[in-house]
Amino acid sequence: MTKEEAPGATEEEQQAQSKKGLKKQQKEAEKAAKKAEKQAKLAADQQSTEEEDFAKDRYGVSAMVQSQQKLDRVLVRVQDLIPEKADQLIWLRARVHTSRAKGKQCFLVLRQQQFNLQALVAVGDRASKQMVKFAANITKESIVDVEAFVRTVEQKIESCSQQDVELHIERIFVISQAEPRLPLQLEDAVRPDGDGEEEGRATVNQDTKLDNRVIDLRTTTSQAIFRLQSGVCQLFRDTLTEKGFVEIQTPKIISAASEGGANVFTVSYFKTSAYLAQSPQLYKQMCICGDFEKVFCVGPVFRAEDSNTHRHLTEFVGLDIEMAFSYHYHEVIDSITDTMVRIFKGLRDNFQTEIQTVNKQFPSEPFKFLEPTLRLEYTEAVAMLHEAGVEMGDEEDLSTPNEKLLGRLVKEKYDTDFYVLDKYPLAVRPFYTMPDPNNPKYSNSYDMFMRGEEILSGAQRVHDAQLLTDRANHHQIDLEKIKAYIDSFRYGAPPHGGGGIGLERVCMLYLGLHNIRQTSMFPRDPKRLTP
Amino acid sequence: MPMYQNGEVEPAVKALEARQDEIMRKLYELKAAVEGLAKTVTTPDADLDLTVSSSSSLSSQSPTSTTFRGTTDLDALLGKDLGALRDIVINANPAQPPLTLLVLHSVLCQRYRVLSTVHVHSSASSVPPQLLSCLGPRHPDSYARQMFQLGFTLIWKDVPKLQMKFSVQNMCPVEGEANVARFLFKLLSPYPSDPAVATLVDSWVDTAFFQLAEGSSKERATVLRALNAALGRNPWLAGPEFSLADIACYCCVLQSASASSAPTNVQRWIKACENLGHFGPAKLYLK
Repeated sequence: MTKEEAPGATEEEQQAQSKKGLKKQQKEAEKAAKKAEKQAKLAADQQSTEEEDFAKDRYGVSAMVQSQQKLDRVLVRVQDLIPEKADQLIWLRARVHTSRAKGKQCFLVLRQQQFNLQALVAVGDRASKQMVKFAANITKESIVDVEAFVRTVEQKIESCSQQDVELHIERIFVISQAEPRLPLQLEDAVRPDGDGEEEGRATVNQDTKLDNRVIDLRTTTSQAIFRLQSGVCQLFRDTLTEKGFVEIQTPKIISAASEGGANVFTVSYFKTSAYLAQSPQLYKQMCICGDFEKVFCVGPVFRAEDSNTHRHLTEFVGLDIEMAFSYHYHEVIDSITDTMVRIFKGLRDNFQTEIQTVNKQFPSEPFKFLEPTLRLEYTEAVAMLHEAGVEMGDEEDLSTPNEKLLGRLVKEKYDTDFYVLDKYPLAVRPFYTMPDPNNPKYSNSYDMFMRGEEILSGAQRVHDAQLLTDRANHHQIDLEKIKAYIDSFRYGAPPHGGGGIGLERVCMLYLGLHNIRQTSMFPRDPKRLTP
Repeated sequence: MPMYQNGEVEPAVKALEARQDEIMRKLYELKAAVEGLAKTVTTPDADLDLTVSSSSSLSSQSPTSTTFRGTTDLDALLGKDLGALRDIVINANPAQPPLTLLVLHSVLCQRYRVLSTVHVHSSASSVPPQLLSCLGPRHPDSYARQMFQLGFTLIWKDVPKLQMKFSVQNMCPVEGEANVARFLFKLLSPYPSDPAVATLVDSWVDTAFFQLAEGSSKERATVLRALNAALGRNPWLAGPEFSLADIACYCCVLQSASASSAPTNVQRWIKACENLGHFGPAKLYLK
């Protein structure tokens, strides 16, 4: 119809227009006509093929799952598809990782979390031409239900995690369709840094990944990182529970800053203001005074430092420990280092696949440690740095470059990525740090390092109200503001110590990653509040 | 039994028991004195009266003070004091415990305030428990590292060759048990000033580690004959003085389990070594 109408409409205007315009219009008309013809043909084609399609109930977009029915169908996990399952007919739900049509067959790579396998739809007595075409046109990242036979393959499929089997698809239904355009390609997101440049292929930068975190989290690397992170938490809990620790929950909205007011977030709290906790420090100590003896706490910690570095976040997960000890605060150090070593061992023994996966994209040397953990004293560290040509005062705090250098020196001599530095100068530690009885310039405090970066800062705390007041005065802290804290030590307080670890830092440094945002699921820093 | 009724003992019996105890005590003292004398006889250069030390306690091993007489000042030997612990790090494979170094360690402990620690590196799997305590019980002052003159840090690690790291800035890692032993021994006493004797000591150390420890049974037998000949001429391997040559050869003979089949002079020398009391700790770790 359009074919006849279009030229008709133009004829009336023809006279007023120039020849050029006429030609142009004629061309356009022809184009439109061709297009219409094509469409008609396509429609006719489709009609005719639909009639012929014998497999049309074997594929399609299924209705939205609104829990209409409860099927007894068992969905097999991709990782369970091993040669022993050969020749079985199974159902499976997975994402379409890639699809590649080749004549009468279509190869799909189906992915489920970090596992994937090859699937094949081929024209035959079970699948029609149309079904193959449909499979080839499913957009990447769509979720499909597939019924298929498991078949062993002669040659290993190198690109998949399930190398020994493939699926011969009988039915395929789309459960959730993805938009055709993805903000980033998964293959690009897992490509190691060096590779992209060589092959001229794209790599995805950190910010794009974080802006589209949902998709980035699907990559094998992210899957592995966060599985390992969960492992760290679990090992931490298990180890401490076994040691007789009690898990506590502390408030995150607090009335006064625990460590100086500069770097806390202020929130409005009805008619007054409150702060977000920088650490559960005060509450851990109050629990000790409340006779819990050994406590730990896993929860968010907030720092309002405006530092945009590779290792600072404004909100992170703190793993905090506080314990009463008998006579010497090294009991606390021993307890914490033993916990760390058990975590490292647990990761080494139970998360080897995850570590390997991350290493594929971000190669790093395996994490090394000693048991029992190496403990050095601050003066030794200063001597080592002096020997290496660093100029620094005996009571000066370690700068970040010096920390890293020291890490390298320790690694060279002792070959460990994890060590404790003990006896920090009193001047560089918070007011509640217990002074060293033998040398008042030093203190009973310690830091722990992984790959030359600090992960834990801890100390024996002052448990004597009088000394605590003196130390607070020395630091020129307003006694009124910390009255409740000091008061908790007036009614008998056991000697105690502790420390806090950042979960993200531990994961980052264990895996040898370079940016803490990689180990934070939804990172918060001074410039990022979404997603 | 009326005598023990109400738990009371007759005074006469009590007196008798006391007298018997006294006799036993005297007998023990006598036995200790005789044993000490026997040691002096079988140990070539022991010129001490051992009765005193052996009867008081076995742990005070006075012969050492006579064995390593050389003046050694750590500052002179190891360079200027940096105000921190000088820590010697030794990486050893748990499959081959370095007996010589364990012996030298125990001698070092008698000479200096040594902070000894044993670690297991993450590369080493399943280290037998006795190796974890091979440097003896923890020093009661070990919480304060600054109180010690020397650190001895033994790390059980998956290394192909024993390795020592000391001053990472100025020294490359020292490889091989023999070379580490030479270094440690020099902290105890200077090498003989006579170059010939010094070379002789070195050569015996090499023989011990290359031929006794790693050699075939034929080679071992040859070395034993050579030892026998040398010990026929002198009380110790490198002359009248006990030296590193004796420590190294003793440990390797023991390790190669050829002590029982050794010729006479070697047997006598083994006994003499044992009497010095340095080898107690090392003998515990023989397979």
